Amino acid sequence: MAALSSNRQRIDWPGIVFAMLLSTAIILPLVVVGTWAFTEIWRYPAVVPQQFGLRFWNQTLSRSDVWGALTLSLQLSTVVTLLSALICLPAAYAFARLNFPGRNILFFSFLAGHAFPKFGLLIAIAAIFLQLNLIGTFWGVVLIQLVGTLMFMIWIPVAAFQGVDRRMEEAARDAGAGPLRVFWSITLPQAGPTIVAALLLSFVGTFYETEGAWLIGAPGIRTMPVLMISFINNQMVIQYGAVLSVLLWVPSFIALMFARRVIGGSAFARGFGA
Amino acid sequence: MTDLTQAAASRLLIDTNHNRRPWGLLLVAVPVFLVGWLVIWPTISAIARTVWRLDADGNYGFNLSSYVFFFSDQYSLNNLGITLWTTGMCALLLLVICLPIALYLRFSSGRLPAYVQGLAIFPLFVPSIILAYAFIRVLGPNGMVDILLNSVGLPKIRTPYLTPWGPVIGLVWDNIPLTVLILLAGLGNVANQSIEAARDVGANRLQVFWHIILPRISNSVLVALSFSILGIFSAFTLPYLLGPASPEMMGPFMQRTFREVNDPLNAITQAVIAFGFCIVFGLFYVRSVARNQGG
Repeated sequence: MAALSSNRQRIDWPGIVFAMLLSTAIILPLVVVGTWAFTEIWRYPAVVPQQFGLRFWNQTLSRSDVWGALTLSLQLSTVVTLLSALICLPAAYAFARLNFPGRNILFFSFLAGHAFPKFGLLIAIAAIFLQLNLIGTFWGVVLIQLVGTLMFMIWIPVAAFQGVDRRMEEAARDAGAGPLRVFWSITLPQAGPTIVAALLLSFVGTFYETEGAWLIGAPGIRTMPVLMISFINNQMVIQYGAVLSVLLWVPSFIALMFARRVIGGSAFARGFGA
Repeated sequence: MTDLTQAAASRLLIDTNHNRRPWGLLLVAVPVFLVGWLVIWPTISAIARTVWRLDADGNYGFNLSSYVFFFSDQYSLNNLGITLWTTGMCALLLLVICLPIALYLRFSSGRLPAYVQGLAIFPLFVPSIILAYAFIRVLGPNGMVDILLNSVGLPKIRTPYLTPWGPVIGLVWDNIPLTVLILLAGLGNVANQSIEAARDVGANRLQVFWHIILPRISNSVLVALSFSILGIFSAFTLPYLLGPASPEMMGPFMQRTFREVNDPLNAITQAVIAFGFCIVFGLFYVRSVARNQGG
């Protein structure tokens, strides 16, 4: 114990080194992108841009492909999240509360998708979609992204439903409340915040999902990340990509704020098998 | 009295559960069907379609020619080689970077470690497409690093953009948060007492790490590595945007074979080969997660 407390008095050199290295490696690239988004002229080798301004925000936001991709991405994410909630939340409730044959093996079957390298699995799915003429269609992309949300949308709500205090439910039932009333007034308010976090994670995850959208959706379906790929590959104006990056990062930031309670602890890492 | 009501209540609960038996299956039917249709079936079908297919005479039969082609085609082998190299290099770098960070975070408290942890988890909230763009602006030709080096009179770097190091740097950056989180969760199982006990008998830091900490977190290390290897082996976005065009990693290679060369059979063959290389890590990872959730 004495060793521990004397450690605390010393200067935390490893901490300072880690903080400096990580700040450089993780914050600097994002600051550079942020700077490019508000830059009008930045010629090599100036360290600071010659001219700041919002000209490229106007230009980016007046491009019809940007609006098209943004609307499509929001539509896709909304449809996928709603469908996922519709099919996964009842299933999560059943896994948490009901006893039925094959419950455990079915519960762990949702892990199956994580046993394979993801893009290989996408290729195998794409080969099946090819026969069903789902390649290049909205619903093809919805299906592929829906599969990506299944595990999150079942495992997190299952934990939420299991965390609800059963005695309160029983008390309400003793007082004469029907099962629906109990669910609505007792179960849902307690499990609610975690379920909202799961919904948010699946919305944001779908919004940024690139590989399925690119493989299944191209060329008809151009989501924001797919548009961003073409901006990186073929666009001479650097600022378009920077503005899009800043725009794209907004939903991620909202998720960061809301999902902290889910992601903070080791419970999250445990979900990944730690 | 209370005991009696509780017993009655729990019996009631069991009874209602019993009555609802078919309901449970009904409620989980749709997601389970989706997993069956879009995870299990494609995998089985991919294997079946590449080994049991039409031959030149139009008869169905056992046919491994697409695999023979893959393993005799130098271009395919180069792609597999670069994929294995990238995966191994990323795994090594992740371990070298994340293990010290996790060890530091486990054995310190205060505002500085909180800041370090916040930074280490931050990439979780940066989509890889934004990461790719940022990478090009910082490490690309005439990027921020070149600008800074030039301002102090040093020569430009040889940019890793469009070289095999591009995907390595990007993928390591992307995988730091989950690796740190998984290792940190594993280090949570190491009791302070056992470390203090070892210190008391005169063990130095390295000995404590080697004999006390490492054996207790070896499972977490394997889980973290399996998880990142599964993601990195068939990564698409970062290798596609940051890596060289030839040889290319399996992800972009499969995508090009499927969409641009329009050759689903060889694309699926490549996918099955990717499954084969990852199967050990996949099974180990799934087993660990299942054991954790079950226990």
